[in-house]
Amino acid sequence: MKHAPRAHLQILTYVGLVILCFAVLYPVMLVCKKAFEPGTQFALSASPIPSSFTLDHFSHLFTERGANGELLFLRHAINSIVVALLTTVVGVSLSCTAAYALSRFKFPGRKTGLTMFLVVQMFPATLLLLPLYVILNKLGLLNSVAGLVLVYSTTAIPFCVWTLKGYFDSLPRELEEAARIDGASPWMIFRKIILPLSRPALAVTALFSFMTAWNEFIMASTFMTNQTKYTLPVLIQSSVTEFSADWGLFAAGAVITSIPVMVAFYVLQKYLVGGLTAGAVKG
Amino acid sequence: MTTVVRQLRDFAVGAALCVLIASAAFVGVRNRELADHQRALADRAASEIADGRTLPDVHAVIVGAATPSKKRSYLKTRQIKDAGVWRALTATAPGATADDKLFYDAATRFDRAPELDAAFTALLSDGSGRALAVRAAKDGLAMALTAPAHPAPYPFLVFIGVLGLGAAFAAAGALVGGRAVRVGTTAGIAALAIPCFLWNSWIAGSLIVLIGLGLALAQSTQLTDRFAAGMRSHKTALGFLAPAAISMLVLVLAPFVIGLVLGFYDHHHGTWSFVGLHNFGEILSGGGRALDDPLNFWFIFGVTVLWTLANVAFHVTIGVALALVLSRTWLRGKGVWRMLFIVPWAVPNYITALIWKGMFTGEYGAINSVLHVFGLDGVSWFSSWATAFSANVITNTWLGFPFMMVVALGALESIPKELYEAASVDGASGWQRFRHITLPHLRPALGPAITLGSIWTFNMFNVIFLVSGGQPGGSTNTLVVDAYRWAFERGERYGMAAAYGTIIFLILLLWTVFGSRIVRSKGSES
Repeated sequence: MKHAPRAHLQILTYVGLVILCFAVLYPVMLVCKKAFEPGTQFALSASPIPSSFTLDHFSHLFTERGANGELLFLRHAINSIVVALLTTVVGVSLSCTAAYALSRFKFPGRKTGLTMFLVVQMFPATLLLLPLYVILNKLGLLNSVAGLVLVYSTTAIPFCVWTLKGYFDSLPRELEEAARIDGASPWMIFRKIILPLSRPALAVTALFSFMTAWNEFIMASTFMTNQTKYTLPVLIQSSVTEFSADWGLFAAGAVITSIPVMVAFYVLQKYLVGGLTAGAVKG
Repeated sequence: MTTVVRQLRDFAVGAALCVLIASAAFVGVRNRELADHQRALADRAASEIADGRTLPDVHAVIVGAATPSKKRSYLKTRQIKDAGVWRALTATAPGATADDKLFYDAATRFDRAPELDAAFTALLSDGSGRALAVRAAKDGLAMALTAPAHPAPYPFLVFIGVLGLGAAFAAAGALVGGRAVRVGTTAGIAALAIPCFLWNSWIAGSLIVLIGLGLALAQSTQLTDRFAAGMRSHKTALGFLAPAAISMLVLVLAPFVIGLVLGFYDHHHGTWSFVGLHNFGEILSGGGRALDDPLNFWFIFGVTVLWTLANVAFHVTIGVALALVLSRTWLRGKGVWRMLFIVPWAVPNYITALIWKGMFTGEYGAINSVLHVFGLDGVSWFSSWATAFSANVITNTWLGFPFMMVVALGALESIPKELYEAASVDGASGWQRFRHITLPHLRPALGPAITLGSIWTFNMFNVIFLVSGGQPGGSTNTLVVDAYRWAFERGERYGMAAAYGTIIFLILLLWTVFGSRIVRSKGSES
């Protein structure tokens, strides 16, 4: 650490990093290339630069119509947004008070509760897929936004509880004590002091829940079998099945749906790592 | 007076639980009775129609054998004898009814399942309560479809009656005082068991009586009073906790318990039957399949373990190696490098999986083109186990290493520079510095990250499902993917899928309890 290595070693490191970087970014470049290159085949050459340029895939994506003449992409984008927004609202609103209770109050079963929320978050939704499917089928909630929101909430709520609890732990308690001396009730303290102070954390948590719901594929494809009820991941996957694969359409859809979440990811990544490892260490 | 209030409080809590149990018992018994009745009726009607007689309110027909169509031999047509007249069994034929499709499908199913050659009877899965019976007759297949049946209404009056009776018992006991309090509680709760016994639901009835006895015991040790006091003193905390806790109970615990229970049932053509430990036996014994059969649980388990080990090993090695390079003090543009290397993490993983699927597919796919550039032969990636498995691992390594890299980078940043300086002064070599300073500081952060990463990888669904899709012949499926296939691709074997889910859960539980301990103890050794 004291001395920098010799110049040729440094250059070698940079060259190595550039090659590795190219290898890592290659699949992404190929998709971007495919989105602007004519044809339905995925790639006929190893080059990541399109041989000719077209916007056909995007216009095809935006103008494709379903059986009832509705614009499919628009419909699926609305489905995705509605499901992700509702999941976020349900997740954050139901979990913020619990996160506060777990952070501030002492009560029997607190540790068990915390562990339960962590375990539920780690144990994947795929395990609950079948029972949820059987239940939603009985309740007639397959192919409905409400059903999918309920399913996504199973992971969103514990995630929100843990992230928000981590943030509440970091808030100083002096403010609350002062308010308590002035006669504020716990609910007043939570509503008038804690919530306004936690706006950034609430925003970050909400954005993460939104991203998770927006990116979810297997639940959506199992529970939403009616084409008008698809979300964007299901639409994108269905454009490249074994029987008919239109990779141009896939690439255009992939670029459009990934860009917003990738931007959000870059803005939020430092919170994500902190939250995940903090949760794991404490558990 | 307060004893009466306390008594009624305890009774109300116990009774709420018991009413739930009794309702479940009622619904279960009612559905089973209705199904049995409908099936028996369909059975009888089918044998009657085979002899040419009909029963009222049952749609009974004779369906002829499938004969190839004259114009197109691959199309099969059937004749149906409905109300004593033969006609074509097609949606457009005159006299066609809404039940025709059910009859046609049932005939096809009968032909396809020779092991059921004598007859079968099934409840339709559309929730209408209709049952369909099929049996062979001399001029074709005799079929009978019962009319829709509505289950008996929920017995509100019965429940209100027994609740009132029970509350009266409990209050009377409290008024008498002394030992009678507990007798009153038990009698009050036990009153709720009466309807269960009347419905022949012995398990639910005994459960309720046990709850009554348990409640009385809890009262005698003042457990209920202490519990109530605890609830009162932590009123605020519980109030804040309630929204998330209740929704987790409903959304996670209930499906989880239902999943555990479903593992003991078999689901076949829309009907559930209790099979005890049969599913677990079939899974754990490999179902009589050879050990290298892709459907044998132990084969899939082996693939899953290999999959998890390979991926975590690659994630950690690549992640830590990159983090070590990116944390060099002389390296410029650290932020930019970091940003570029975490791109794979930012891309939604179903898109990643599909991209790699596209790159591996085809003789002239992107990966094979790259191989050609280096003068290598193309590989048919999904036709052998080793290459298909490698394709999955490559994809998952690509999307998984950035997490480990970021965790390692964070840990490396927290190592005080003075340690390295002191080590160099003492003449430690580069390897010694890595072995005795870097590694011990990485462990506390990497330990939990590895536990978490191994669980994520074990449960990774999208990559396997979308990249290799289990090819060739299902041999690259892992446990979660195979559980999914039992439920949704192999004739709705929900019971098998649920049993798989339970086994996966137990494996994960063992791994989180013991695995994290192994990782942690290794960390504390050094």
